[in-house]
Amino acid sequence: MKPPADDEDTGLPGLRTWGRVYLAVGVVFVAWVGLLAALTRMFP
Amino acid sequence: MNALDYVVLAVALLGIAAYGIWRTRGRQDFNTYLKGASGTHWLVIGLSVMATQASAITFLSTPGQGYESGLGFVQNYFGAPLALIVIAAVFLPIYRRLNVYTAYEYLGLRFDPKTRLLGAGLFLLQRGLGAGITIYAPAIVLSTVMGWRLDATIVCSGLVVVAYTVAGGSAAVNLTQKYQIGVIFAGMVAAFLVLVARLPAGLTAADALALAGGFHRLEAVDFSLNVDRRYTVWSGVLGGMFLALSYFGTDQSQVQRYLSGGSLRESRLGLMFNAVFKIPMQFFILLLGVLIFVFYQFERPPVFFNRAAWERAAEHGAGGRLRALESDFSAAHAQERAQIDAWLAARHAGDRPAEAAARAALLEAHGRGTAAREQTKQALGGAGSRATANDADYVFITFILDHLPHGLIGLLVTAFFAAALSSKAGELNALGSTTTVDFYRHIVRREATDAHYVTASKWFTAFWGFVAIGFALFAHLAENLIQAVNILGSVFYGVVLGLFLVAFFLKRIGGTAVFWAALASQGLVFALYANLSISYLWYNVIGCAACVALSAALQVAIGMAGARAPQAP
Repeated sequence: MKPPADDEDTGLPGLRTWGRVYLAVGVVFVAWVGLLAALTRMFP
Repeated sequence: MNALDYVVLAVALLGIAAYGIWRTRGRQDFNTYLKGASGTHWLVIGLSVMATQASAITFLSTPGQGYESGLGFVQNYFGAPLALIVIAAVFLPIYRRLNVYTAYEYLGLRFDPKTRLLGAGLFLLQRGLGAGITIYAPAIVLSTVMGWRLDATIVCSGLVVVAYTVAGGSAAVNLTQKYQIGVIFAGMVAAFLVLVARLPAGLTAADALALAGGFHRLEAVDFSLNVDRRYTVWSGVLGGMFLALSYFGTDQSQVQRYLSGGSLRESRLGLMFNAVFKIPMQFFILLLGVLIFVFYQFERPPVFFNRAAWERAAEHGAGGRLRALESDFSAAHAQERAQIDAWLAARHAGDRPAEAAARAALLEAHGRGTAAREQTKQALGGAGSRATANDADYVFITFILDHLPHGLIGLLVTAFFAAALSSKAGELNALGSTTTVDFYRHIVRREATDAHYVTASKWFTAFWGFVAIGFALFAHLAENLIQAVNILGSVFYGVVLGLFLVAFFLKRIGGTAVFWAALASQGLVFALYANLSISYLWYNVIGCAACVALSAALQVAIGMAGARAPQAP
């Protein structure tokens, strides 16, 4: 579903489309899971 | 608590509530009352979504979970970022395009009135019960520890939130939540800093983490496929995603928060703010509990954290047994303390064999202490104590009262009440809106002025406030409080999510099929919950999958029956 034109711009530097915003959020999520997995392995 | 603490508590709580009423006074526009100010910034929306979800239970009970079981509970939130992306990309544009007040209005537009009422009814049932828990949970813990009257604590905190939610509606809820979450964050960070400062001088951060890891408190992720385990990566990602999709995407207490944005952009960014910060926030709160555990390796903790319950049982015949167990616990803790010193010395000297030996002796002494704690819980149960056997909810507040300076104690207690009020306000606002829009305006009074509906909404909000206070006054919980809230949600949320997923993605399925499928699926979830012992997060998946599959099957059956039916002449 295509959002209205005035809402297309995210207003975020470097993340001009919503697809990129979602991708960035996904990367942050994966990074958190990775860090927590590393913490689990470092202190067994 | 001393006079300074009470001043901090009264000024902060009543000040924020009074400010919310004053800033929103005289607003009688139905749209503003239900959706808030049209120019609400994305950060306010994000904080409001966060404040509604993170109740007092989150801040009071979660450190206790970290203390008892470590970081594993964080996996429960792994599905949230993924769910929030789906909601921002799919659900939100549809809600905004249709300009609905409640999520259930959309079900009426997509299917039929009965399906709208079913969705709204399930929300009122589930959230009405949950609202009682949100107000009861902090009240039982704080009144027990502070020596306040439970009923007075419930009624006073309940009346404050009813007053400003009724007076200012959604705008007041958004406004007060912004300041309340500020108080909450300030309190939690202050507690963290004091805790770190009070750890022994020679203990490095690596030592503290190694010590916590030695007691399995840093097992944050578990990749095992065992469905009997309550928290794994898979139950968290899959079950947690369904729970978060349903909660953030279809629960009016959340939908109302992000529909208050001035544009789709503001609403989306508010949701993305939560997608980014939800996991770190929960991790931080759990880590606080883990560090409290480390702290209590050097400072003897009470054998049972609900000290008031322990003393009541001791006065009523179990005193000899309880004091003997407390003595055993003290002896075990003293041995544990000595072994920690030996373990730290070996660790700093790089003597691996001595480190391993000290660690084994440490775990053995810890096991004796844990056994004394378990026997204390059994003795309390045997003495007929009404206190729950799980004292995890009392860990953090005990630490605060015993080890934080005055002023900060007041700030932390204010933070718990602020969290209770902020989530309660979001819930009451949503309960009042849903009753007004989906029942009163839809069935009872279709044509009336804005002022009439605002007045009706205020009455319904007050009604739900008093229902929640009444429920809280008579509630008695047996399990850890935060789990009780999540379990209650998981039993209902799956089916509600199924309704919405069919609405969004399966365009050929009609209202009759999805309505009966949802009822049958809810019955199935109740039956499974009564008979199985799987992680409660899976009920979100089961309820949703059953609703979607049964809807599709029923639609096929209805289509076939329609094709066989004799044609009218």
